[in-house]
Amino acid sequence: MTDVYVIGIGMTQFGKHPDRTAASLGAEAVRAAIHDAGIDPRAIQTGYAGHVFQPMVTGQQVLAQVGLAGIPLANVENACSSGATAIRGSYLDILAGVADVSLAFGTEHLTGAFKGAFTPGEDDPEAAVGATMPAVYAMRARRYMEEFGLTRSQLARISVKNKRNAALNPLAHFKKDITIDDVLAARPIAEPFGLLDCSPVSDGAAAVILASGDWVKRHGDSSRAVRLAASALRTGEVETAPGSMTFEVLTHKTARDAYEAAGVGPEDVDFAEVHDCFTIAEILRIEGLGLFDQGTYPEAVERGEADLGGRFPVNPSGGLLGKGHPLAATGVAQVVELTKQLRGEAEDRQIEGARIGIAHCRGGKAAGVEGAACTVQILMR
Amino acid sequence: MTTTKTPVSFRPRELVVTEDGSGHLVGSRCPTCGAHYFPTREVCAGCLTEDLETVALPRRGTLYTYTVVHQSTPAFETPYVLGYVDVEGPVRVMGQIDLDPGDVEIGMELELKIVPWGTDDEGRTVWGYRFGGVA
Repeated sequence: MTDVYVIGIGMTQFGKHPDRTAASLGAEAVRAAIHDAGIDPRAIQTGYAGHVFQPMVTGQQVLAQVGLAGIPLANVENACSSGATAIRGSYLDILAGVADVSLAFGTEHLTGAFKGAFTPGEDDPEAAVGATMPAVYAMRARRYMEEFGLTRSQLARISVKNKRNAALNPLAHFKKDITIDDVLAARPIAEPFGLLDCSPVSDGAAAVILASGDWVKRHGDSSRAVRLAASALRTGEVETAPGSMTFEVLTHKTARDAYEAAGVGPEDVDFAEVHDCFTIAEILRIEGLGLFDQGTYPEAVERGEADLGGRFPVNPSGGLLGKGHPLAATGVAQVVELTKQLRGEAEDRQIEGARIGIAHCRGGKAAGVEGAACTVQILMR
Repeated sequence: MTTTKTPVSFRPRELVVTEDGSGHLVGSRCPTCGAHYFPTREVCAGCLTEDLETVALPRRGTLYTYTVVHQSTPAFETPYVLGYVDVEGPVRVMGQIDLDPGDVEIGMELELKIVPWGTDDEGRTVWGYRFGGVA
């Protein structure tokens, strides 16, 4: 079986882009990825476009703008895992020998699509009684507090860490350091969360170009190619009895698939980009991925272990809390960050000696199901 | 004037409201392995048995976790308390909680209450549910 490499990455500024569309943001990211790869765009044979709240065939609108119309392309929707699922499409095309070079991108013009609290699907029975995404995660936080003694300020510390990293990332939505007191004083959203415990509504796009090992050998710049060793996807199972809301079985199982495919374990991983849509989410992801034991991550964050320069940096890009969360762009932007770190091109955020990185996305919610879609990708130098 | 008028449920697939103003949530039970589901399912996720039974879920349960929602969609007035209640089955149900936030505690026993939820196009009261303290 061939190996799969990331050979090009591109990303727009994340933030508010009132005068743009998902297609124009997507085209900017794709062109940046083509230039980064230094390839003739005609080498790209297939494409996958992730987007959630955008017009149909947004992917084709992007292709038309970058001179790639004609290639097979599928639009992909998997809630917040849409972009990561698009990457998996390209990954599988290369493994299957259908393509030597494939393009995956995620784009979202979210500020133009809605405002306020995000809810599960409109017809969902939980949305019908007042569920919002912040409320669902706030309930998980409350339960985690009860079981493991998590404190409000430990939760706030995660937002402080990620926004500090974002301040070092020129493409991040947030550019300002904040304090624990700022987090505690923010407008309440769903207790215990205030506004700064929640990822923002952002616009943006990110793109990656993947290629087979053979193609890289023949045409590529192998010094900058980073291996995509696993791209795992799972859907949440229907619970046959009420499950724990403080341990993510879905994340755990998806990670197991990814570790197995990559031939590594959690102990081999040097850093992570995880789906911190809310402060509690970073804790649940990291523990679900097996990177820290259940109940131990909040104290590790307090000790600085997850900081840049710590024992195990988490969300060096700023994460969703700091970099922003243009839904479908998020999973692709995580792979962009992993690639920068593994190439040694992360500038002020560079993690010295990083060799293996893991990216985790999780999206969607339906009553009686533990999360809708989860992706875990492992990149290595 | 009609003597019997079936009250209107906000979501008939999930909530049955009876003429005496009472009611129950609707779940599924697997006749093979006994697993319960809310909302209803057509196939058991545990053993793949088809033709699950439709059952009335118990009215009382235990609060697993909760939050006070301060920002929601235009359909809901804030703040409100929202929680997950585990009822016998066992199965977990989300609902609003009709108590002051200060009186809510994880592990407390709660009971289903049928409450006015709005009005339909014909001006009839539409009924929904919340959980409240056990009398």
